[in-house]
Amino acid sequence: MFTKKSRIAAAFAVTSVAALMLAGCGAGDPNANAGGGDDSGQERITIGVSVYDMSSFVTEGKEGIERYAEENNIEILWNSAGLDVNTQASQVDQYVTAGVDAIVVIPVQADSLQPQIAAAKAADIPFFDVNASLNSEDLTGSVQPDDVAAGEQEAQMMMDALGGTGNVIILQGPLGGSGEINRGKGIDNVLAENPDVKVLAKDTANWKRDEAVNKVSNWISAFGDDIDGVIAQNDDMGLGALQALKEAGMTDVPIVGIDGIADGLEAVKNGDFIGTSLQNGTVELSAGVAYAAAIVRGEDVKENPIYLMPAITKDNVDEAIGHVVTERDAFLKNLSEMTNKNLKSGNIAYEGLTGQSE
Amino acid sequence: MTDTRTAAQTFVPESEVKRFSPTWFGDLAIRYAMVIVMVLIIAFFLYRSARFGTVDNLQTILVAAAPFALIALGQTLVILTGGIDLSVGSVIAAAAVFGSLTAKAFPDQIWLAIVAGVVVGFIAGAINGFVVSVIKVPPFIATLGMLTLASGVAYVAGNGAPITGLPADFSRIANAQFGGLTLPVILMIVGILGLAIVMRRTTWGMRVYAIGGNPVAAGIAGINVGRTIFSVYAISGMLAGISGVMLASRVTLGAPNLGVGYELDAIAAVVIGGASLLGGRGSIWGTALGLLLIQTLNNGLDILTVPAYWQKVIKGVLIVAAVAVDVWATRRRSR
Repeated sequence: MFTKKSRIAAAFAVTSVAALMLAGCGAGDPNANAGGGDDSGQERITIGVSVYDMSSFVTEGKEGIERYAEENNIEILWNSAGLDVNTQASQVDQYVTAGVDAIVVIPVQADSLQPQIAAAKAADIPFFDVNASLNSEDLTGSVQPDDVAAGEQEAQMMMDALGGTGNVIILQGPLGGSGEINRGKGIDNVLAENPDVKVLAKDTANWKRDEAVNKVSNWISAFGDDIDGVIAQNDDMGLGALQALKEAGMTDVPIVGIDGIADGLEAVKNGDFIGTSLQNGTVELSAGVAYAAAIVRGEDVKENPIYLMPAITKDNVDEAIGHVVTERDAFLKNLSEMTNKNLKSGNIAYEGLTGQSE
Repeated sequence: MTDTRTAAQTFVPESEVKRFSPTWFGDLAIRYAMVIVMVLIIAFFLYRSARFGTVDNLQTILVAAAPFALIALGQTLVILTGGIDLSVGSVIAAAAVFGSLTAKAFPDQIWLAIVAGVVVGFIAGAINGFVVSVIKVPPFIATLGMLTLASGVAYVAGNGAPITGLPADFSRIANAQFGGLTLPVILMIVGILGLAIVMRRTTWGMRVYAIGGNPVAAGIAGINVGRTIFSVYAISGMLAGISGVMLASRVTLGAPNLGVGYELDAIAAVVIGGASLLGGRGSIWGTALGLLLIQTLNNGLDILTVPAYWQKVIKGVLIVAAVAVDVWATRRRSR
């Protein structure tokens, strides 16, 4: 049974598994100790964070959270739910059991986690939803982007690019999430004011680039040159649409997105996108955690701050790229100070871009 | 209601069925049920949309099918041996991430990225094969574990982030055209033809079928069952690895959530193509048909702007119906 070949294969496999396990042990949990030294003289608190998935946006934001936490004496427990509601519920349950000082959730679904919120309330743990909303009256606080405004902003950019008439296709986020619902509302608001613009097709690509490529390819088969514009509810899907259009040889179709991820900003810079709305993950998510910490520590801050996404066009895309990509370290250095200032004023989206006011 | 006649009295061997009799048509319809369904579906879409039947659209279908084709081929081999590989979706993700990292590290040798993907796929497949054939863990459990492991590795390797900022050459892998066909499509065609020949004409192919049909008898007949089983999982892993790099190249992003759920589409293609999940029955051509059926459905339903969630319902019904027809046909033939 154990021939020479299978013994070699066995040794190889066992070694690789052992190596992987050792690597895992050695790395430890890099997220459990994101709060390091005591820089601010504040008491150390622990915040449990659960995100819907490690999307490009969330990943960029995680750095901001970790940096802010490090400089403000906060320990962050981090978990990602992989787009699964049940997984997120379990993660929140664990935080309640662990007795954290606050729970911050970027939810998978708006209508979820009711039992977990109730449990947190019973345990006196403040509960916050950040970036996407949970339908609940029992939340301690909320740090939300104005998705409706963002939807209106991107749709208006498209209307301006099309001159008020033409055919568009719309790519939505996961159905039922507050992102899709609210951005959709904003898009519909603007479409209602532009009756000469027709929607050829509208469907979800679940925030994902590979789903968007195939969906738009099929729509190109269906509608061909009739497609005058693409409204994507996030940059990732817009980039997928861009790829599909490139493959079909249609290079002049305006595309607009939301989020301002690194690849999206590049697309605005080189003209592939007509614009995007910057949802600076580092700024927004760190503001969410900062707000939660401030509430726990009883500090005086504006209630439930709203993140108003700045419009990014060719005019200010270079600055945005600086903040998000090229001069990221310098930006992160100033992040804590800027976030604390913004919390007091309530304008948590302010990062000094052209077109923004404090 | 018990049938007291013996099997020998009621069994009508195929050679004795009268040509063009109702029984003959019935047998034909069942054996080629999926082909008939495919023809009907294509006819329906052609009728409902003028844009469906164009060469460009055919290309769109083939390009979308390519990443699924590779893993469906690997899945066919595994299912023929009576096993299953649930890990291919996550292996795609891991290969996509490692391939992207390699492309960033060596932008002048993009082919290294493909090698990285194949190696990652091979390691995953080899571990699966080892665990199944030597340690004898049931394939469902073994590959389920690898599904979680590989997904985790994909996230660890990128530090939780998708790999962005990939060199322009990297996206050329999936877009390079040879004679009007992109590389992934060519790989799909070569893969189907190649494996179809291998499964019918080589001893290794025969061994795979034999093991699926009756592993004990195969072992007694002198086949090295363990080694063959190991090889099908390794191949399934490698094909998933190639698929992962192709996918990352097409969207120019090494995302750790690429390929999530793709294993279900692969299994669906194999099952619709007539393979038995118990092993021993099935064919590469059947899988190719099942694959094209699913992809044509995706394409046609999108063209008719049927919402994504309805598409899932239709796909699910089709899978169950396909297996049901197959089970009923088998019972009928041997009654």
